[in-house]
Amino acid sequence: MSQTPNPAPSSSPNPAPAPAAKPATIKIQVDGREVEADPKQPLIRACHDQGVDVPMYCYHPGLSPVGSCRICQVEVAAGPGQPSRVVAACRTPVSPGMVVQTDTPKAHETRRECLEFLLKNHPLDCPICDKAGECDLQDYSFNEGQGKGRSSEPRRKLEKRKSLGDVIVLDEERCILCSRCVRFFQEVTHKPQLTVSGLGSRSTIATFADKPLSGNYQGNIADICPVGALTLKPFRFQARVWNLSKTLSTCAECSRGCSITVEALRGKEVKRFRPRYNPQVNQHWMCDVGRFAYAPVTQPLPPEGSIVGGRLIGATIRGYNGLERVELESALAEIADLLRASSKPLVLLSPFVTQEEARAALELCASLGVAPRFVSPAPNNLKDDLLHTGDPCPNRRGLSDLGIAPIEPAAALTELASASAALLVGERVQALLGVAELAKLTTAARLVVLDVVAHDLAALDAALGVPTHVEKSGQWINVDGHVGVLNVAVPAPAGVAPLDRTLRELLEHCRAPAAR
Amino acid sequence: MKEFQRYLLDRIAAANSHTLAVYRQQGGYKAIEKVLKTPLKPEDVITVMKDSGLRGRGGAGFPTGMKWSFMPDVAKDPRPRYLAVNADESEPGTCKDRVLMERDPHGLVEGCLIACYAMRAKAAYIYVRGEYRLSYDRLQAAIDEARAAGLVGKNILGTDFSCDIWMHKGAGAYICGEETGLMESLEGKRGHPRPKPPFPAGSGLWKSPTTVNNVETIFNAPFIVERGAEWFKSMGVPKSTGNFLCGISGHVNKPGVYELPFGLTARQILDEVAGGIWKGRKLKAFFPGGSSTGLMPASAIDVVMDHDSVKAAGSMFGTAAMIFLDETASIPQVMDVTLRFYDHESCGQCSQCREGTQWLHQMFHRIARGKGKREDIDLLVSLANGMAPGKTICALADAAAIPTLAAVKHFRAEFEQCVELGRDPLAPTHAPAPELQGAH
Ligand SMILES: Cc1cc2nc3c(=O)[nH]c(=O)nc-3n(C[C@H](O)[C@H](O)[C@H](O)COP(=O)(O)O)c2cc1C
Ligand code: SF4
Ligand code: SF4
Ligand code: FES
Repeated sequence: MSQTPNPAPSSSPNPAPAPAAKPATIKIQVDGREVEADPKQPLIRACHDQGVDVPMYCYHPGLSPVGSCRICQVEVAAGPGQPSRVVAACRTPVSPGMVVQTDTPKAHETRRECLEFLLKNHPLDCPICDKAGECDLQDYSFNEGQGKGRSSEPRRKLEKRKSLGDVIVLDEERCILCSRCVRFFQEVTHKPQLTVSGLGSRSTIATFADKPLSGNYQGNIADICPVGALTLKPFRFQARVWNLSKTLSTCAECSRGCSITVEALRGKEVKRFRPRYNPQVNQHWMCDVGRFAYAPVTQPLPPEGSIVGGRLIGATIRGYNGLERVELESALAEIADLLRASSKPLVLLSPFVTQEEARAALELCASLGVAPRFVSPAPNNLKDDLLHTGDPCPNRRGLSDLGIAPIEPAAALTELASASAALLVGERVQALLGVAELAKLTTAARLVVLDVVAHDLAALDAALGVPTHVEKSGQWINVDGHVGVLNVAVPAPAGVAPLDRTLRELLEHCRAPAAR
Repeated sequence: MKEFQRYLLDRIAAANSHTLAVYRQQGGYKAIEKVLKTPLKPEDVITVMKDSGLRGRGGAGFPTGMKWSFMPDVAKDPRPRYLAVNADESEPGTCKDRVLMERDPHGLVEGCLIACYAMRAKAAYIYVRGEYRLSYDRLQAAIDEARAAGLVGKNILGTDFSCDIWMHKGAGAYICGEETGLMESLEGKRGHPRPKPPFPAGSGLWKSPTTVNNVETIFNAPFIVERGAEWFKSMGVPKSTGNFLCGISGHVNKPGVYELPFGLTARQILDEVAGGIWKGRKLKAFFPGGSSTGLMPASAIDVVMDHDSVKAAGSMFGTAAMIFLDETASIPQVMDVTLRFYDHESCGQCSQCREGTQWLHQMFHRIARGKGKREDIDLLVSLANGMAPGKTICALADAAAIPTLAAVKHFRAEFEQCVELGRDPLAPTHAPAPELQGAH
């Protein structure tokens, strides 16, 4: 899993809070190298920080260590030449001068034994398991296991597909009882929902009183489950993970801007959003609203022969026979004329436009002699005290930093009703203003829309397609001033150019002498 | 066998020995009076306990005075401190604490007072095995009586020493007898043992300094305080002092709980205390200290019963619960039921223990039913070595691995025979124990 945090904010005049002072460290020896270790962290962290791979199942850097799976055993001595013993690295504090060896026959043997026990009852149904390819049980068995089972006992028969609510399915047979999922709800959302039920080899994971899981953070337990016991309903049997391309990105669904990885099947079809560790923004987590927001980035094409009702491709203008596709150049010229003809065209940006796009919009507006504003819907009720801010504008902070003022949808619609011409720019701009309200605008208003989808608006004069946030690169600034990066995870459809380029080309046309 | 001095079970012959009146008639609550009225300093009490050489009776034989001295210095650590009395008594074969709690509960109450005084503990919690209803009721009655008499609670015997004693009923899990599992359970959580460190003296009940002691250990304290360390050391052997309660069960003529001095041989105990093997049969094997201690063959019967001698002989003194097996006993059957217990009682946290106890049990079960394979026997050894020693959070995995290794070591031929014949020639003719399916 990628652990690259976002780069430090550079473009924001409101810099993020300085990272906490570096903790005092102590010196220990790991596999013959003297290294610095944080005395507040367990030994396993010191090893991982040095790039030394120590396997783990129950340990997770975002949860408290319980030391129960016993896979992380390494050989430790109090100092050079001292007697050594095998300990669980996740529950062992570091002490000055400690000598740690992760690569000894004894450490490997202990881990091999542990794996053999873990596989004793494992169903080995990797061919039909979503986790295959990114499963810690597979990976460590490959690295450390013995390749051949010695058990001839029957395997445990348990529930293979137990629904734990709308998001998660539990396969009890695959579960290795690491209790990460239990601790997630105890320690991260602080609303315990899962428990270990039963004793010993009859233990299973269960919800209290068999109630379905609830809340906006359920998906995280499928990420942290080291095996394929917890799977996401929307992702079940959708893709083999080795066919997924992974691109660093930022979640668009609120102004927290959680760092994520966009995973696309063969680089084309978005299948999964997963949180990416960022100590300053979202730690290891993301919310379900963001996790499952695939619909906005997987808009279908419009019905055959139609321009509206789906993904907006290429350039469209209203001709004598209604909306029709035209060459980009002629559309740009038409739009430039239209904007210049209006004394004060209204320019409304989507809060999804990036800093780069916003700068291009500002240049365009300067040449038109107007100030753009960004559409700022009221907060929604998803706000909580973990991640979701309740603010649906991912780049509110960035746009404000550039001096762009917000405008509420209702006020914007009032202004639109009396505007002679208006330019609506960016992903979801129509949706945020209200498609039904826009549809009510009379044909007197001249509307130019640069958005991902095309709606059948009576006032629409020209429309250009723009990429979604997974089809472009750029930066957003989150609520606390941290930069969120966007990268091209899937290609934009043919005929959809980057928005900042489109805006600059439009600027060129506006500066050129009038066509007519 | 020489005559020896008794004290542990001295009082229980009297009628109503569990009441305060009878306890007092027999000299009860003199020790706490001595401590408070002399007055002895808490450190002095710990010194006496150290000097006495008393070793814990809960199974590990850890020196009690030393354990008490691990509690942090009150001047430096203002947290409240606690005593937890381990009355979960669930090690198979063990039934000694029950006798003390049912017949002499005030002895334990007085022991708690002394231990709490010595460790400056605010309160003692007695964690009683759920099935021990009479023990629970008698102890609760004793605490109530003592409280009414000013012996428990605030300003005990008019001094400024205050100490409470609370009872907690277990719910039937062996693992809640493991000291950290016990503490989790006392706190109202699942009895999942905690990894150590931290040790209970550093962070125990509610993250406060705590000492966990067995019932019989605490029961010894008033005697030691009253009669002195020298008196205590005059009994037993140099490194295992005092008397111990020996719970004898199995194929013997006179099973029961006996008070014995350390230093007798197992043969003396079998022949002179337990009346020998029943039905005129011969001894085959014995567990010296509960089912978690390595099974010993008849040839080891001259082992001296004290902590160090049994250890030197390759097993453990454990809880002194001696289980004798006669020549008709089938070791594969014995191991089947033994591992069935550990499989059932593993808390399930550690991979090796959760899966290993089940695996070992399944294998012993198969072998005992004549379905074993030749390679099973070495696999038993290999698996047991993968579970212990010290590879898991608590010693339950060891408790399953140790008897497994001992059984195969001493009785390999018998396992091989079962495999070769495809049946166990010593299998009991009565109906076998029910399969474990559906057990809770
Ligand atoms: C699985 C397991 C079960 C245990 N059960 C008991 C028990 O029922 N009673 C007991 O006194 N000690 C039991 N112990 C030992 C305790 O952990 C602890 O060592 C003991 O209570 C300490 O008391 P002592 O120092 O007075 O011997 C058990 C240990 C293990 C590993
Ligand atoms: S379901 Fe997954 S995360 Fe939860 S205990 Fe099982 S293996 Fe661990
Ligand atoms: S060794 Fe067994 S009983 Fe002890 S904590 Fe681990 S799983 Fe639980
Ligand atoms: S990762 Fe250390 S015991 Fe599980």
